[in-house]
Amino acid sequence: MPLVVSVCLATFLVSALAAAQFRSQPLPPSNRVARNEALRTSVNDLEAENRHLRDQVGSLQAAIRQLEDQSAQRSSAAQRLTDMVASQRLAVGLVPLHGPGLTISLHDGRNPNDPSDRSLGWIVHYQDLQDIVNLLWAAGAEAITINQQRVVPTTSFFYAGVNILINNANRLSSPYLITALGDPPSLIAGLNDPNQLTELKSRSRNYDLGLGWRRGSRLTAPAYDATFVLKNAQPIS
Amino acid sequence: MRSRSAEGTARGQRLFVVSLIAVLLGFLVVLQLRSQALVARSLANQDNTSIALLINDLNHANGQLLQQSLALDQRQRALRQGLVTGGTDTQAIEKELTVLRAVAGLLPVHGPGLEIRIEGPVMDFEIQDALNNLRNAGAEAAALNGYRIVDGTPIISHGTALQVAGHPVSSPYVLSVIGDPEQLESAADISASSLQTRVQVTITRRSDLAITEVVQPRPLLYSQLGS
Repeated sequence: MPLVVSVCLATFLVSALAAAQFRSQPLPPSNRVARNEALRTSVNDLEAENRHLRDQVGSLQAAIRQLEDQSAQRSSAAQRLTDMVASQRLAVGLVPLHGPGLTISLHDGRNPNDPSDRSLGWIVHYQDLQDIVNLLWAAGAEAITINQQRVVPTTSFFYAGVNILINNANRLSSPYLITALGDPPSLIAGLNDPNQLTELKSRSRNYDLGLGWRRGSRLTAPAYDATFVLKNAQPIS
Repeated sequence: MRSRSAEGTARGQRLFVVSLIAVLLGFLVVLQLRSQALVARSLANQDNTSIALLINDLNHANGQLLQQSLALDQRQRALRQGLVTGGTDTQAIEKELTVLRAVAGLLPVHGPGLEIRIEGPVMDFEIQDALNNLRNAGAEAAALNGYRIVDGTPIISHGTALQVAGHPVSSPYVLSVIGDPEQLESAADISASSLQTRVQVTITRRSDLAITEVVQPRPLLYSQLGS
C-alpha cells in the first residue's frame, strides 16, 4: 500500500510539472507583468511631471502678481489695469475663496452582483458630477470644487478608461466631495427639487451611493491650479 | 504459483489505473490553477486599457501645462523688462486682462470654429453634454441662440424648450463654438451621433466665427477672498 501511495504521489507531481511546462510555453507571463509595470511607471512619471508643471505655473503666476504690483506702484495706468486683472482673476477661479455653502458627498455604491443588471448604476459616472455642478450653478453657486479641484470656465469632465479626469488630467476618484459656495437655503432648494437629479437620487437609494449634503458656514474653494491660454479666440476690437 | 502471479498482475493493473487517474488529476489541477491566473491577468489587461488612455490624456495635459508655463514666462519677462527700463509694460498687463475677460465671457470674440445647428426638441443635459465634450476638445468660447455660455451659465429644460440663464430659447438651436475646428468636430460628432436618432443636426466649420454676446459679471454675495 505505501508503494501505491508513493507511486501515485510521484506520478501526480511529475504530471503536474509537465502540465505547468506545457502551459508555460505559449504564454510567457513575465512579459505581461513587465508590460503592466512599465505602463504604471509611465503614469507615475507623467503624473509627477504634471505636478511639477502645475507648481511651475503657480510660481510663475505668483511672480507675475509681484511684478504687476511693482508696476502698479510706478504708474496709475498700470494700477488701474492691475486692479482690473485682480477682479477678473476672481471671476475665472484663479483666486481662493471662502464662505457659506454646501458640501455634497457621493461615492461608488454596492455592486449587486446580479448578472441581469448591466446598468453599472452602482458606479458614480462623470455625468453625475457634471449634472450636480450644473444644478448648483443654476441654484446660485458662486464657486464650486470637486475633490478640491476648482470648476472653471474651461473645466470638462471625461473618462480615460475607468478614470474620471478634470482640469489638465486630474484624476478624480470615489468618494466625491463637491463644495459649493453660496446661499445654503437656495442651494439646498435646488438639490431638493424633485424634478432634478431624479435618476441619480433613485440610483443612490437602490445602490447606496450615499448622495447627501450638509451646510457649512465657512467652506473653502481653492484657486484653479493652472491658467488659461487662448489659441483661437481673439477679441473683437 | 499461478494464483500469486495472477494476484501480481491484478495489483499491477490497479497500480496502472491509479497512476493514470493521478496523472489526469495532476494535469487538471494545474490547468485549473493556470486558468484562474489567466482570468486575473485578463482583468489586468482591461485595466491596462484604462492606463493607456490615462497616459494619452496625461501627455496631452502636460503639453497644455507646458504651453501655459511658456506663455506665463513670456509675460513675466515682458513685465520685468518694463521695470528694468524704468517704466512699466502695461501692454503685458492688458494682454492678460484680455485673455481673462474673454475666458469669463465678458468680451466679444472671433476665430475659427463650428456652428452646430440642432432642429428639434432637446433636453438640457444633451446641450450640457455637448458643451462638456466641446470644452474637452478645447472650446474657447461658446454661445447658444444669441446667449454666451460660460461655466456658470444655467441651461434648464422648460417644457419642450430651453432656458439659457433664464432666457427662453427654442428650436432650431444654434451652438456657436470657437476653437480648433478639427478637434471640435470630433467632439461634436460624438454628440451628434446620439442626437441624430431624434433630431436633425448640421455641423458646419467656420474659418472665422464671431461671438458678440457677452455675459454680465456676477457679483459675489456670499464668498470672500482667501482660503
